[in-house]
Amino acid sequence: MGNESMISLSGMVMAPVLAAGLPLAAINWHSVLFLLFASLASIFAVGVVLADNVVRMALYLVFSLAATAGLFFLAGAEFIGAMQLMIYVGGTLVLLVFGVMLTAQAPFVSIKPSAADRALAGLAGSSLLVVLLAAALSVDSWQRPGLSEVTAPTATPLGMALLGMRVDGPAAGAATGAVANGYLLPFEIVSIHLLVVLVGAAYLARAKRRRTPRPIDAAASAVSVVEGSTRVELPAALPPRSGSASALVSGGSK
Amino acid sequence: MNSVSDLGSIVSRSLHDTLALSLPLFRPELCLAVTVVLLLLCRMLPVLKMLDSAWVALGGAAFALFYAWSDLRGLPGWLGGDALASRQEIFTGLLVFDSLTAYIRLLLMAFLVLYIPFTKVSGIPDREDGADFYTLVLGATLGMCLMASANHLLMVFMAVEMASVPSYALAGLLKGRRASSEAAIKYAVYGAGASGIMLYGMSLLAGLLGSCHLPTMARQLAGLAGAIPAGNLGGVEMVLVLGGLMLAVGLAFKLSAVPFHFWCPDVFEGAAAEVGGFLSVASKTAAVALLLRIAFGLGMPVAVLPGADSSSALAGQAAALQGALLGDARHFMVATIGLMAALTCTLGNLAAYGQNNMKRLLAYSTIAHAGYLLMGVAAAVALSGSHPASARTAVSAVAFYLATYLFMNLGAFAIVAFLRNALRSEEIASYAGLIRTSPGIVVATGVVLVSLIGLPPLAGFWSKFLIFSALVEAISLSAERPLMLVLLVVGGLNTVFSLYYYLRVLKVMTFDPLPADRPGEALSLVSFPGAIVTALAVPVVMLGIFWSGLYACAQLAGAFAS
Repeated sequence: MGNESMISLSGMVMAPVLAAGLPLAAINWHSVLFLLFASLASIFAVGVVLADNVVRMALYLVFSLAATAGLFFLAGAEFIGAMQLMIYVGGTLVLLVFGVMLTAQAPFVSIKPSAADRALAGLAGSSLLVVLLAAALSVDSWQRPGLSEVTAPTATPLGMALLGMRVDGPAAGAATGAVANGYLLPFEIVSIHLLVVLVGAAYLARAKRRRTPRPIDAAASAVSVVEGSTRVELPAALPPRSGSASALVSGGSK
Repeated sequence: MNSVSDLGSIVSRSLHDTLALSLPLFRPELCLAVTVVLLLLCRMLPVLKMLDSAWVALGGAAFALFYAWSDLRGLPGWLGGDALASRQEIFTGLLVFDSLTAYIRLLLMAFLVLYIPFTKVSGIPDREDGADFYTLVLGATLGMCLMASANHLLMVFMAVEMASVPSYALAGLLKGRRASSEAAIKYAVYGAGASGIMLYGMSLLAGLLGSCHLPTMARQLAGLAGAIPAGNLGGVEMVLVLGGLMLAVGLAFKLSAVPFHFWCPDVFEGAAAEVGGFLSVASKTAAVALLLRIAFGLGMPVAVLPGADSSSALAGQAAALQGALLGDARHFMVATIGLMAALTCTLGNLAAYGQNNMKRLLAYSTIAHAGYLLMGVAAAVALSGSHPASARTAVSAVAFYLATYLFMNLGAFAIVAFLRNALRSEEIASYAGLIRTSPGIVVATGVVLVSLIGLPPLAGFWSKFLIFSALVEAISLSAERPLMLVLLVVGGLNTVFSLYYYLRVLKVMTFDPLPADRPGEALSLVSFPGAIVTALAVPVVMLGIFWSGLYACAQLAGAFAS
């Protein structure tokens, strides 16, 4: 669905222009590219919502995010555009390959929400869209498309800012009392955060051999250790939650 | 950056700002970060593997507590002096160090020093899980410290994420238990949604105000408000309101305030009681501090701006003028926070009635207490425009509440955890007749629960009293009088409502007959678990009698709002 729409849309934009016999130089390529990337991003985003298959959803998401990166490039924010490509597009691809394709089991590949869920989600989503659109269009200063000359930003000021040093106009900031924030702290502190989160992810993903039952598991099952292997004796009346706990104990001792 | 000397001066200024100004005020967080790394390194060396990670974590937390304590003592106004606002922006304005930062950090570190021995004794995590568990706990606490000191929307978002993401993993600590995994996934999905909405709100606000730095945003906001008579606002209010509400969604999620409280009972029921205690106390403390930061950061411009001439009276006059212009912003914030407070308090208390599981009951109790705290914040923001001294008192009330809440609620969760180990159950019905076998624990439970209600001889009474007196102050000074009156009535009624469900637990423990086939043994106060419970319950009694020392600290924290 997405590809056909893309072709027809670009045809729609280009056809009247070419038919009128305008010279190519008269076309505002910035607007054309903006329309192209914006419609790509929107169409594939709708595709993510409408698709039923998880793999397709992830693929549409990759296209939508890549088109968004194109929008960032158009706005002159090359660094953010590159980050968008690297982190979101690259990350989603990895997620697609490892997360979805390797682990998707039959019941989870196809996601079909009920009609009521669809209606509710559609209502919530469209009302949020209306509110946000109304808000975005109500600000005067956001309506005038500034076709100002984009000063070519380089990676150097960004890199310096990440090291805590602002070289892009601290003098102008001092005059108005504005603070030129350097970004050394977030740059460093996020490394600790990623370390902690990595430990958490490894903990959740790890299949662990458990020799000693936790007190909370002992609540549900009597465990006796016989020659290094754990045997589980289930009590007669077993509440449903403790069933999975003892399943863990027996499963971990294989 | 035209010449080399220019770059040299930039580098030396940056070095000075980082090493000489910022890092000395960042020592508690540095201690936590070092401890996280140490916990990992200890697992690599066979010799250090013998060391229980709980002791490593406790050592790091103790160092952090020491530095947090010395930071608070180093503030001007310590021990009866004039509690001046000493505000210092660190890390080029990303964070701010003031009395609120120091106070909340001290609370969080004190919480860690109490919490780590409690988890060590209660047996969750066991030794195998210990290193992972304490890494997550310390990492989340680091994020909470940043929440208390954030001065920039980027840091607000990062701090919220740093506090949240390890908490998602903590909720799933009991691997393989269906309820625990369900709690973790629910928490993660709700959390991702809430932070996405918060980020959208932040981008709306930052896009309109042209900055992410909170004091700068306040000045821009005052500039916009000053443009209203000229009539060229151009639909800006709607975007501001929308951005503010979306930002409030993220904060309300962290506070478990209605209508973003749905995760709370399910997560608390599914996760271990130890994790519930962490989420209920530490996470709540940091979220209230962040709410104060944002409400006062956007609602009250600071008089002393870095870069501007701080000594001149002109700066103060400009700030006062801007403060007057921000009246509408404050009115909006008071209305939002106040409405949320009334709903949160009422719904939390009413929903607690039907609960049979003790952890679920405590989850609703947590929601209700978030409501009381929000009332204090609403009163503080309402008073801040016209009566700064009263606003400071209101912030002190919130700070005092947070300190007593630490002992009360951690005590309650500790009792649930130890009774789970002894009775193999967390249902309230299974506590029947506990007074025959473990009278000491029942007395401690009574102290903690009665303090949570807020009855006189205990610490909880003073915290509720201070919050309500802040509301009365706002009414008498006619700051947002109708809303404050509603909040006072709602708060009073809710205190009466809450009597029933807290006392029901005590009634089951004391009056109901002892079941014949009670599994497990009695839990004596003369044991390690008993010592932990005593260490948490005794401060509740002592702070009810000798509350002036803690209140002096809380007043120091309140000095930030000036």
